[in-house]
Amino acid sequence: MRSLLLQVAAVTLMNLKSLPQRLWLSLSTVVAVALVVIVLLAFLAMGNGFQRTLASAGAEDVAVILRGGSQSEVNSVVTRDQVRLVEEAPGVAKNSDGQPLVSPELYLVVDGVKRSSQTKVNLPLRGIGQEGAAVRKGITIVAGRMFAAGSSEIVVGKALLREFEGFELGQTVTFGTGRWTVVGVFEAEGSVFESEIWAALPVVQSFFKRDNVFQTLRARLANPAALEGLERYVDTDPRLKLEAKSEAAYFAEQASRTSDLIHKLGWPLAIAMAFGALAGALNTMYSAVAARATEIATLRAIGFGGLPAFVGTLVESLILAAIGGVIGAVATLLIFDGLSTSTLGASFTQVVFSFQLTPALAAEGVILALVVGLIGGLFPAIRAARTPIVIGLYGL
Amino acid sequence: MNDLVLIRKNLFRRKLRAGLMTVSILTAFAIFGVLGSVERSFYAGQDVAAADRLVVVNKINFTQPLPIAYYDRVRTIDGVQQVAHLNWFGGYYQDPKNLLIVMAVEPNSYMDVYGDEIDIPPEVRQAFTHERTGALVGEAMAKKWGWKLGDHVPIASNIFSQKNGSRSWDFTIVGIFTGKKAEVDTNFMVFQYKYFDETRSFGKDEIGWMVLRTTSPALNDGVVKAIDQMFANSSYETATDTEKAFNKAFIAQFGNIALIVILVVGAAFATILMIVGNTMMMSVRERTREIGVLKALGFSGSRILRLVLGESILLALIGGLPGLGLAALFILSVRASLTGFLPQIMVSPDIALAGFALMLVLGIVTGLIPSLSAMRLKTAAALGRN
Repeated sequence: MRSLLLQVAAVTLMNLKSLPQRLWLSLSTVVAVALVVIVLLAFLAMGNGFQRTLASAGAEDVAVILRGGSQSEVNSVVTRDQVRLVEEAPGVAKNSDGQPLVSPELYLVVDGVKRSSQTKVNLPLRGIGQEGAAVRKGITIVAGRMFAAGSSEIVVGKALLREFEGFELGQTVTFGTGRWTVVGVFEAEGSVFESEIWAALPVVQSFFKRDNVFQTLRARLANPAALEGLERYVDTDPRLKLEAKSEAAYFAEQASRTSDLIHKLGWPLAIAMAFGALAGALNTMYSAVAARATEIATLRAIGFGGLPAFVGTLVESLILAAIGGVIGAVATLLIFDGLSTSTLGASFTQVVFSFQLTPALAAEGVILALVVGLIGGLFPAIRAARTPIVIGLYGL
Repeated sequence: MNDLVLIRKNLFRRKLRAGLMTVSILTAFAIFGVLGSVERSFYAGQDVAAADRLVVVNKINFTQPLPIAYYDRVRTIDGVQQVAHLNWFGGYYQDPKNLLIVMAVEPNSYMDVYGDEIDIPPEVRQAFTHERTGALVGEAMAKKWGWKLGDHVPIASNIFSQKNGSRSWDFTIVGIFTGKKAEVDTNFMVFQYKYFDETRSFGKDEIGWMVLRTTSPALNDGVVKAIDQMFANSSYETATDTEKAFNKAFIAQFGNIALIVILVVGAAFATILMIVGNTMMMSVRERTREIGVLKALGFSGSRILRLVLGESILLALIGGLPGLGLAALFILSVRASLTGFLPQIMVSPDIALAGFALMLVLGIVTGLIPSLSAMRLKTAAALGRN
């Protein structure tokens, strides 16, 4: 047993030492595998970044209340009477003054210009109630101040400022005939709220001629369990006929379509490319076995078994693939991780997000690489172990 | 024995190797064919747009409404031939997930402006104009939901509701139209604005946007200025643009899909370039003696060059053509499920042609170095080498 292990070790080492002889072919396998892994991981990091941006916005103890069937905030309509009824709903938390923590909101789409492409894009302008910031978690003003009630002032999310033009602190922004001044920049733990523009609800209503029109309500719940009661309340009261869901559930739904799509594109593309790389890996390893035919036969002639030749070839293939996988993962980390971009989200406005490569995703990439290496090495390894000594020695 | 036979014999001498190279090339061209078609279909909206069609939207954003009164005012502007107004309905059928492209339009003006894109027989035109609850349904949409002429279909809106509280409107299908050109997507329906405006609970006398035709594309710039100036400083300012530019900007909102396609296809091609290039070099190196023999037999250097180049080009074609074919089959099989998202997707002749050109380039690039070194080989040295 020990001698077999020694044989395996000796042959494997010999194979690895002979790698420089087939440098270019081996290198092309490494690069091919690396490219497959980069394509896969870039898509996965994109989907993950998008999903996290939306998911991190959602709290379990905040309810989003929409008109039933409207699916996203931009389509919803809620009346003044309904707002009043929701404020009296069971399970809604109150602030220190005893006022319900409810923010009636108006979600409008306005034009902006994306820096990278210089094209017009849809941006969300959200008129929020007095409790607007309080019903959301982790909102902090990082520059300037909050807008003053009743003034035509706006605060903008950090991500929005980064991706789109003209929202620097102190700038005047025009939406139609309305002129607004940027007085603050806020952070929201990297969530989708950072892609939004916020202003005082009554001011937005009057500038956009939507007096007494609301679209959604956000309510802070006394505890996450209170959601069920609220759901029943807004659904059964004939004056309401609204739909309540936790903010977490709302954003999870919003995220699912786009991130699913990205995943459904990334994996098949990477697998198709993996087939191409696999053909390359097989070719490389068959060539390596052919080049070593005499050597393998010689070893067999002096008493080495077939197993060392098998393991040696397989290990060589796995090592090449692993190197490719790691290079691919590192390259994705360097090129794509943290890359900021934006796309049209389910609310018909731009969602700014960053590519996020996690160790778990990187592992998926390396595993795909190893699968290529395993299959790419297996068949040539079988051939190496089975080549009859005589044929090998004569190099036939 | 002519050169072609020689090329073929050389290529398939190592069957396994040739097979592996073929698979590798095939996947790259399949990816090229599929992604190329996806990209083409994705950007089709901007290519279909007519040069003399302009779009008028609210300056704040195209989702904001305009007053219906603007319709009559725009019609009076010099250079404007026909104007249609449209309103997004936010329609869905049965389940909110079954989103439909549904718009409320004024029948005659709509059919005038889009008459060059969709085919509407006179009797259908008549029916659509007179039937209050009538709807025109595109062929692709009718096929998808199995709707027939005369069917009554309830379509719900995720934005609007009726005065009676219902979210659903009943339509009678008075016509199923086809596209006049293959690129025209027919996965949508239109119905009477009047019916919509009289029954909806809010937004009365508002329209979504206008599409107009100018008497000549040369007048576009002047008409754009005239419209936007007409409504400047009003409470509903407008932004007018060509339909092409408008579609292009909208499509760009999803992100730089073209760049993603280029990067993925680029990665796939970089892979095969390396693998095939290296393999070609290796197989020519293995044949050094043989090439020496051919030269000793009187084969000229340029003939050797042609043989090796021919081999790499043949390999590229053997892998590439089925790759494109595979892409075409794949697109054909998923085509139905992609209507609405990627309308009219197919591996078009120009994609196939570009693919063919890429095969030749691939063959030449991968064969260039080995064929040059084979051509330059000294006969004596080649014969002496083992």
